[in-house]
Amino acid sequence: MMNDKIKKRVMILLLGILSFSLAIYAIRGVHDQEEDRKKVIFIPKTLDKTNGFWTSLIEGARLGAEEFNIDLEVVGGLSEEEVEEQIDYIQKSIEKKPDVLLVAPCSYSETADVLKEAVQKGVRLVLIDSVIEYDISTAIVATDNYAAGKELGHYAKSLLEKENEIGIIAHVKGASTAIEREAGIRKGLGEKEEMIQDVVFCGSSYNKAYDQAKKMIEQYPKLGMIMGTNEYASVGAARAVKELGMSNKVKVVGFDNSIEEIKLLEEGVFQGIVIQKPFNMGYLGMKQANDILEGKSIKKNTDSGCKLITEDNLYEEENQKLLYPFVGQE
Amino acid sequence: MMEEAKKKQTLFGRFKTIQSTMMVSFTVLMVIAVVTFMIIAVHYTNNSIYENSVDYTTQIIKQVNYDIDSYMEFLGNISYIVSRSGDVSNYLFNEKQSDQEKEKARERIIAQFETIMDSRSDIYNIAAVANNGQSILNDGEDKFTDYIDVYEQSWYKEAMEKKGGMAISSSHVQNAIEDSYKWVITLSKALVNYNTGQNEGVFFVDLNYRSISELCSNNKIGNKGYIFILDDKGKIVYHPKQQLLYGGLIHENISEIMLSEEEHFVSGDNLYTLSKSPKTGWTVVGVVNTEELFKNNKKAESMYLIVSLVLLTGVLLISSVIAKEITKPIRQLRDSMSMVEEGEFEKANVSITTQNEIGSLANSFNVMTERIHTLMEQNIYEQTQKRKNEMKALQAQINPHFLYNTLDSIIWMSEAGRNEEVVLMTSALARLLRQSISNDREQVTIAEEVDYVKSYLTIQKMRYKDKLEYSIDVSPEISKVKIIKFALQPLVENAIYHGLKYKETRGNLMIRGYKEGEKACIIIEDDGAGIPPQIKAHIFEERKKEKGRKGVGAPNVQKRLQLYYGPEYGLTYKDREGGGTVVIVTVPLTSRPDDER
Repeated sequence: MMNDKIKKRVMILLLGILSFSLAIYAIRGVHDQEEDRKKVIFIPKTLDKTNGFWTSLIEGARLGAEEFNIDLEVVGGLSEEEVEEQIDYIQKSIEKKPDVLLVAPCSYSETADVLKEAVQKGVRLVLIDSVIEYDISTAIVATDNYAAGKELGHYAKSLLEKENEIGIIAHVKGASTAIEREAGIRKGLGEKEEMIQDVVFCGSSYNKAYDQAKKMIEQYPKLGMIMGTNEYASVGAARAVKELGMSNKVKVVGFDNSIEEIKLLEEGVFQGIVIQKPFNMGYLGMKQANDILEGKSIKKNTDSGCKLITEDNLYEEENQKLLYPFVGQE
Repeated sequence: MMEEAKKKQTLFGRFKTIQSTMMVSFTVLMVIAVVTFMIIAVHYTNNSIYENSVDYTTQIIKQVNYDIDSYMEFLGNISYIVSRSGDVSNYLFNEKQSDQEKEKARERIIAQFETIMDSRSDIYNIAAVANNGQSILNDGEDKFTDYIDVYEQSWYKEAMEKKGGMAISSSHVQNAIEDSYKWVITLSKALVNYNTGQNEGVFFVDLNYRSISELCSNNKIGNKGYIFILDDKGKIVYHPKQQLLYGGLIHENISEIMLSEEEHFVSGDNLYTLSKSPKTGWTVVGVVNTEELFKNNKKAESMYLIVSLVLLTGVLLISSVIAKEITKPIRQLRDSMSMVEEGEFEKANVSITTQNEIGSLANSFNVMTERIHTLMEQNIYEQTQKRKNEMKALQAQINPHFLYNTLDSIIWMSEAGRNEEVVLMTSALARLLRQSISNDREQVTIAEEVDYVKSYLTIQKMRYKDKLEYSIDVSPEISKVKIIKFALQPLVENAIYHGLKYKETRGNLMIRGYKEGEKACIIIEDDGAGIPPQIKAHIFEERKKEKGRKGVGAPNVQKRLQLYYGPEYGLTYKDREGGGTVVIVTVPLTSRPDDER
């Protein structure tokens, strides 16, 4: 009797141990299996290859996708101003049912509805660079544009002489980045804010910005500074000033970096540029997307950072790292 | 006592069976053995994996370092050839040269540069710069930018400091060339002005990362492992994720690497293996993800686990069988012993299946049991014999006085010519005698015994005439119940001689028999003189004072009854209400047959 009982107990114990270990093995086996790659679609404002900011941002997103083993598709138009086209791309992307949609919205208000539709259909939204009027995104990765504008405004103020007037060339009317940067610039200028004579929108076109800058210089003889709010606006203005040979009189400050901007900075046309960290922005966007897909808790707002670059600090090693993308393997 | 006994229990004393003791002991030992084995095996495997990995990675990064050294040496040779050529020196330093000669020299230099650049895709720029402002760059089309002072660049200064040796820069952006902002590694070397014999310029080559990246990425160390290069100041020369590092998005454990005196160490999840080249001053770092490293070991561990579980199960099953086999004779012995305890000697014999200690124990047990059995049988036999003899000795014989009196009565009656009465009495006497000697059985049925009493009473009735009246009423329920022979007659005799005989008037004797529970009761009641208390108190003691057999009746019957049926049976004397005596005889309803006792 006693023997049988003990034997039974031992057998049950052994079976327990066996099944337990098998269960662990099975769970491990399941865990080892490759998961399907998650699909993420990224719609930047533009796929314009001449634009250093966006190419670098897309590069960052691609590297992030590689790092996090995500299936990334990048779609978009060639112009930041084509809001309708972007809405179209967003709609097409929703139909592809991505796990996460990364969007850099061209417009604060016009892209809002289509993105709301996407969120309602269960697509998780990560906004890059710019925001929209509804607070519906799961995460936002952007430069703190107000702070960036403020830094530039503050720097500009130190350059201005007494009766210098200021002209602002902004990029796209209604884009959150343009609105925030302008507000930041105004704040940073402080009492010099009243010297702003005009704010125009170049529609993110080099040529339009160039024309607007020329026109501005003609229109306001006391103009001492042109401020651009993005790469197109800044470069356009700088080109105009350089071409008119006015760089002694009219100072140019602006946003973002490209080879041309750096050259113009070296040449002294630009007095300063606030560079964003587009590569980081793209990479962090993918990191957020990955964290969302892995169910990690995420911080909703990620500031990818910015840096004011002037002639003086251009060659500092840290700034060199920010200014020039490392493409060693190519 | 019990408490103490318990305390003295041995380690294994608490188990109920030896088998379970063995099983539990085996299990514990086996588990300890397996766990020890597992720990040692896993530890050993981990160690050897770690050591193998360190060896392997060390080999690889040494190779990478060697390759980089030879690569740099090769480029150094190119630099040497170019910088030593008279064309470069002439072009840069010889101010006496005619423009035509200068132009020719320039063309030759550019041709040389182009040949080099065409054959090597890892070179971005190749140039010679002189302190005097003269320079020659790539295909001659590219220009140095106006915004940079070449002579202030670290690669320039270092080359001048090295006086002919080759300076190798870390990763940097080549800002000196117009329209080009590329991340490069610059190899620079001072140029000698042959006229003055002084170092008055620098020859440099800008390398892209193609070759270095190839050298590093061709040598894979695991899926998650990678190789990167630090310069002597701890700056990143090459890293497969250089852009992420520069963006501050990932971090590399550089300070720990620079401080490390070991050639390999583990930090966080990574195993770092270092190899420093004295030629370039660079440190090649191999990084292996330990989790990946031990991934296979995890598999081995679960393999070990499964094998040990299977072994454990097998060993336990086998050990349970062995334990059962070993303890089987002990259990048999135990069972036999409990049979002996119950007195079943016949079945207690143990079959001997082993030759070991238990076998000899069983053998001894068998011998012992057999002897005990024999002794007991003998004892029982002797006891039975003794009792039989005693019974025989005790068995009442017909009182010779009674016989004599009866025969006397018969003579007296025949003389008186009362033939019928003579016949009756003689036949009753004959029946009495026949019944008393009829068989050897110790027991008779109550019916037979009552018949015997009837015969006796018939004779007594004839002798005492009206002075004796009797009735017999025995329930047929108990007529078949066995009772020892001559149990009733002496009592009846007592009733007559000690009770009724002293009564002046007619004496009554009543015999009743009935069943009461598991007993049969026979009551012999008389209304005679009764028993005086002093006699009654000692009624079952044999009285020596009185001679003859008279006083022997009651103690004798009582002794026999109790000898035969046990102390709960026998005689009970009571005083009868209204004078006289009641004797109650109780015997069991069923008793063992004679032979068995």
